Amino acid sequence: MRRYLMLIAHDPGGWESATAEERRLYVDGHAAFDRFVDRHGRRVSGAPLADADTATTVRHSAGRRVLTDGPFAESVEMIGGYYDVELPDLDVAIAAASLLPPAYAVEIRSVVELDPTGEQVG
Amino acid sequence: MTPLERVVREEWGRLVAILLAQFRRLDLVEDALAEAVASAQASWTDATTPDNPVGWIVTAARRRVLDRLRAEAMAARKEPLLAVEAAGRPKEGVMVDDGTAVDDDLLRLVLMCAHPALPPEGASALSLRLVMGIPTSDIARLFLVPEATVAARITRAKKKVVAAGIPFAIPGNDAIGERLDVVAHTAYLSFTAGYAPGSGPDLLRAELAGEALRLARVTRSLHPSVTLDLLVVLMALQHSRRDARVGTDGSLVLLADQDRDRWHHDEIADALALLRSIENGPGPSSTLGRSYHLQALVAVEHATAARPEDTRWDHIATLYAGLETLTPSPAVRVARAVAVAEAEGPRRGLALLDGVTLSGHRLPAVRGELQARAGDLDRARESLAEAVALCENEIERRHLESRRDALGT
Repeated sequence: MRRYLMLIAHDPGGWESATAEERRLYVDGHAAFDRFVDRHGRRVSGAPLADADTATTVRHSAGRRVLTDGPFAESVEMIGGYYDVELPDLDVAIAAASLLPPAYAVEIRSVVELDPTGEQVG
Repeated sequence: MTPLERVVREEWGRLVAILLAQFRRLDLVEDALAEAVASAQASWTDATTPDNPVGWIVTAARRRVLDRLRAEAMAARKEPLLAVEAAGRPKEGVMVDDGTAVDDDLLRLVLMCAHPALPPEGASALSLRLVMGIPTSDIARLFLVPEATVAARITRAKKKVVAAGIPFAIPGNDAIGERLDVVAHTAYLSFTAGYAPGSGPDLLRAELAGEALRLARVTRSLHPSVTLDLLVVLMALQHSRRDARVGTDGSLVLLADQDRDRWHHDEIADALALLRSIENGPGPSSTLGRSYHLQALVAVEHATAARPEDTRWDHIATLYAGLETLTPSPAVRVARAVAVAEAEGPRRGLALLDGVTLSGHRLPAVRGELQARAGDLDRARESLAEAVALCENEIERRHLESRRDALGT
């Protein structure tokens, strides 16, 4: 099993402007994703996120901590939620991500396991 | 060809696949194979060449992978023997002489290298390197890019395979057709690269394009695919003209001017037989497969015309119209305009180019040629001058300049 983080990008306001029928398709997509992952692996966690314009970004600049209002990447799409899952390989992860609502762009990232000294495991 | 050269040329993909099936370590397998081949080179003589050269190399490479795993285990302060036993237990059915199991592993390798999550140029380079065993320097020559570029593409593709978890696996029946389409697309990308005019006579590039044809042939022998069948027909027909398309001075010889006796007519006959054998079966279901079908039928028209003037341009124009409906693009429109001009006259062809935009020299080159044939010499000179200015390829530019100069001033 490999661990994948799925970052969901979504146009802001997509949900608010959706009709009842469209909202049902969103809910169905997530339910299909959940069922698929449960069948092929394990859901570790997952959640929708508050709008990106409410994000706070922490950086360090010249030895000082700098806080900025907003997400670290400026883009039209924003990360609206995530799933942390265990699945056998990228093909299964792609199959799972394909079940989510078609309005999403889903970025699939492998989770890297580190040992206590910070060395990559495996 | 020595037995070792033959093994490296024909069995490289199988060797990689066998070792990958056992160890699942893309990062170790290739180096171990290269070392095993080097040691074979040093120790095999005519008298000592083993009866089973593939088995010899697999055994030697296996030993090297195990050495590396042992070293890694030592570095990680694990009990070395335990770690090696866990990693190195041969998978059942992965013996060299078990043809079916190895074929499945080779198919797994082909599908892994041409995975849709890889960038197309990375997938092409990885397939040629790992499946066909083509040296990086030759892949660079094929794609007309620096060797370092190809090396970086391969490194990046391998890194993604490992980090993203691209599987060494055969997908289910519902998904395999789509995946074989990606293999076909990957092979055709390499093939067409070999036919992009280079900066001089380079017959090796046509030979390397032939390796892409071999990749498609090997893959269709592992799993049936109408898309791959049609692509093999298309590539084989184009490839049959390789000797006739470059003049002795490296100049480009256009289809109409080629010495058709220099086409490989035996290869044309084989391709036509393959096309006939699949014509009554189910046609391709994907857009890609249908587009290869139409392009293959165009290639058939050219390959079966005894003389240029025998070419059935009206048929070709109809096929390109079908291709344009299937996959509309300015490039297909230009090809269709050429066919229509041949069939119905240059003005009918020119009319199809009205309002078409396409970057590069091809559009003004075709437009200039058709304007010249229509007797509109002033516009033709202008178009050809534009084409010459836009053309980045030395051989093609020389050809365009000679066309322009032939029109006088």
